[in-house]
Amino acid sequence: MERTLRAYLIPSLLFALLLEAMTAPAILYWPDFEDHVETYRDILPFESVRRMIDSIAESGVSAYVNLQHFYKACNVLGTAAAVFFAVGAVAGEANRGTLELWLSRPVSRTRMLLERYVAGALALTLPIFATSATIPYLLEQIGETMSFSGLMLSSVHQSLFLLVLYSLAFCISTVSSRPLPIALGLLFFTIFQFSIYLVMEWTHYSWFRLADLDDFQTILRTGHLNASICGPLAAASGLLVVASLWLFHRRTP
Amino acid sequence: MSDPKASHSSATIAIRVRGLSRRFGTNQALAPIDIDIAPGEIVGLIGPNGSGKSTLLRCLTGVVRKDTGEISIDGEDFAGDGANIRRRVTYSPGEVNTYGELSGSGHLAWLLRGRDKQTHARAHELAADLGLPLRSKLRTYSHGMKRQLLFAAAIAPAVRVRLLDEITEGLDPAMRATILDQLRADADAGNATLLSSHHFGEVDRVCDRLIFLDAGKKLAEESPATIAERARVLATFEYADPDAARAANERLTAEGTHADHTNSNLLIQLDKDDPQAHLARLLARTDLPAPTSVLYGQLPLADLYRELYGREAC
Repeated sequence: MERTLRAYLIPSLLFALLLEAMTAPAILYWPDFEDHVETYRDILPFESVRRMIDSIAESGVSAYVNLQHFYKACNVLGTAAAVFFAVGAVAGEANRGTLELWLSRPVSRTRMLLERYVAGALALTLPIFATSATIPYLLEQIGETMSFSGLMLSSVHQSLFLLVLYSLAFCISTVSSRPLPIALGLLFFTIFQFSIYLVMEWTHYSWFRLADLDDFQTILRTGHLNASICGPLAAASGLLVVASLWLFHRRTP
Repeated sequence: MSDPKASHSSATIAIRVRGLSRRFGTNQALAPIDIDIAPGEIVGLIGPNGSGKSTLLRCLTGVVRKDTGEISIDGEDFAGDGANIRRRVTYSPGEVNTYGELSGSGHLAWLLRGRDKQTHARAHELAADLGLPLRSKLRTYSHGMKRQLLFAAAIAPAVRVRLLDEITEGLDPAMRATILDQLRADADAGNATLLSSHHFGEVDRVCDRLIFLDAGKKLAEESPATIAERARVLATFEYADPDAARAANERLTAEGTHADHTNSNLLIQLDKDDPQAHLARLLARTDLPAPTSVLYGQLPLADLYRELYGREAC
């Protein structure tokens, strides 16, 4: 477990730094954005994005932070990170020829796989919580505030959303020996999903509807998670983990 | 000092396999096979590539799921995914793929996860004795050095059974001898070893018994002494070209000597009563084409299979 965690440490730190690099400047830019919100709305090409700007104009800094941090930074970078952290888990070992060596150690396969799953899941989700935790401090610099518990609950929602993609990539990795095609396939698919989110007629078919601005604003407003979304997301990840275990027990080097 | 083999043989069977089989799609990689190995015994699995040696070892450790059969190692029945067996054996895979970013020392620690501190210390000591630079990254190791590192990890744990796949492959003769000597000493201490090789003549000198596999089936079990006795009446003449081999074959066959030629090689059955005198007479003859080399007393695996079992070894 120790080596597995170490292997994820640097990529996870890098992910956290990139998230912070996207979020911090955006938050510090809020006063300027607030002054020109109508101008930004007018120049945006997509109706779906214009509606987000309307939401910001109506709700203020909290909607802006949710949009910049969760919807933009976490969704875009997090999607790539989820795929990156998962695809090498088993397929990477097979690809480099070390799968047999890994499987031959005196440890049960269930433990082997779960250790790797948990390490990758922590590498993916901890940076989301860590960067979310810096938001109150950043807002303080521009004279604004936001509920810390709301940010943490939104981080839970965001993590559950990304964990589904992570678990899907992880599950595919358990039966594959070629991590690169899996990664490219899933990334193209998520780009497609993000694209159709922007098209009003198709936006409801995009899985990014499960973690968009409305969801985070609802969490902030109600002060609790939306069980009708988070429940199925958690269940989907759970099922994919069970499927991964089932497949991994049948895996040959 | 008591004989460890004698003292353990009555206690328990180190490896007991009954009806073990495995199929990959339409390929029967391992036909139902039975094997018994006693404590203190070294048994060689001999066979050409694809004969089922590695599949057998992988099934024993749970690295590959068995289709049918029962496995019991050191008194413990195979259960679940075989983690209980992996704790009671050491296994060195045939493929030498390692984590290049780890140091030799780090890789040993990774391989020996779950083993006690004494095992880790002993593995480091063994690796150092083999001259391995444990502080260097594995990416700087040669193939043979990686093989030695895997051997150190396989021989260090205080378990009763060792499963070694092609452990001498890629090693120079001196290092191969060192490794085999250590295996012999380990067996003399009462531990059972099942090791595979597709090079007959590399490992048979330390083996108490040899199991010959082909196309997933067990062809026979022989002792090295029996094999040597049978090889004693066989000689392989190598010629510069196939025509010379064919000419020699025709002449000897016409005289009633049993001979069989393949390309430039001629396998000759010598007189059972005095094979060496027969060989000397053949070499002294001027009417036969002169061979460029003569192999006597040991056989390449392909010739051995043809001679012993009347079939080609793939």
